[in-house]
Amino acid sequence: MANKSVWSDNRFWQRSATWITGFASILLIWLTFDTSAQISMGTDEDIQNGVKKKVPGATVINYRITYEMDAKRGHEVPVIGGKEKFFGRDDWSEEEAAAMLHLGKLGSQAKNCMDCHTLLGNGAYYAPDLTKAWLDPAWGPDGSMQAMTGKSTKEEAIAEFLQHPDQYPTHARMMPNLNITEKEAIGLVAFLKHMSSIDTNGFPRNFGKIKGAINGK
Amino acid sequence: MFEPFTDMVPSFFGWLNQGPLTLTIFLHTVIILPMFWIYAQEKKRLENEK
Repeated sequence: MANKSVWSDNRFWQRSATWITGFASILLIWLTFDTSAQISMGTDEDIQNGVKKKVPGATVINYRITYEMDAKRGHEVPVIGGKEKFFGRDDWSEEEAAAMLHLGKLGSQAKNCMDCHTLLGNGAYYAPDLTKAWLDPAWGPDGSMQAMTGKSTKEEAIAEFLQHPDQYPTHARMMPNLNITEKEAIGLVAFLKHMSSIDTNGFPRNFGKIKGAINGK
Repeated sequence: MFEPFTDMVPSFFGWLNQGPLTLTIFLHTVIILPMFWIYAQEKKRLENEK
């Protein structure tokens, strides 16, 4: 038999392919379980005990959320601060908060927010990214959006806007009236507030550096 | 080349993703190095067959 090269030998490639496929399968199955654990929602207890979760529990709506630069990580991260009233209360129970988030999530799907907006990287860029919308100073005490709605708190201002978006001239691409009810609007605001507390590794990039936004000069 | 581990929740996959070279080195270690070993085995087998 002529000198046969290993490179043209079928068994070498078979064994290599088996090894790579098998190892990659194990790695990907492990990655799936690792990810599930990392993106699981925290509880009220976690928030009270300062246990950091990428996705905090629903009762995070009872707390002030800020977006602060983390020098070590090189981007802004949501920081859960002290208690803050949300629609007049800062003692929403886990069940109540979860029900509001659920209503908000269903509402965001029913009204198809993602048709124009982006939520956590999914959706369109026809309208502003909503991932960190709650943290946008335009809705804050000195913000133009809050002033425009004539409300005194951020949550009331956003809820008012969501119910009558066609009454407020915000942009050439004005948001249409989607017939959102007051209850749905409250749910949507809770949904947005909770979403802003999710640690998204700095996404959307440069949100805090846009002029007029957080830390924007 | 190697960047400090800054993920909020420590994880093996977080470690893999910390810098441009960590994943490359890891995959070369677990895929290419065993292929050298497979190559050596197959070469030995072919020589013995002769």
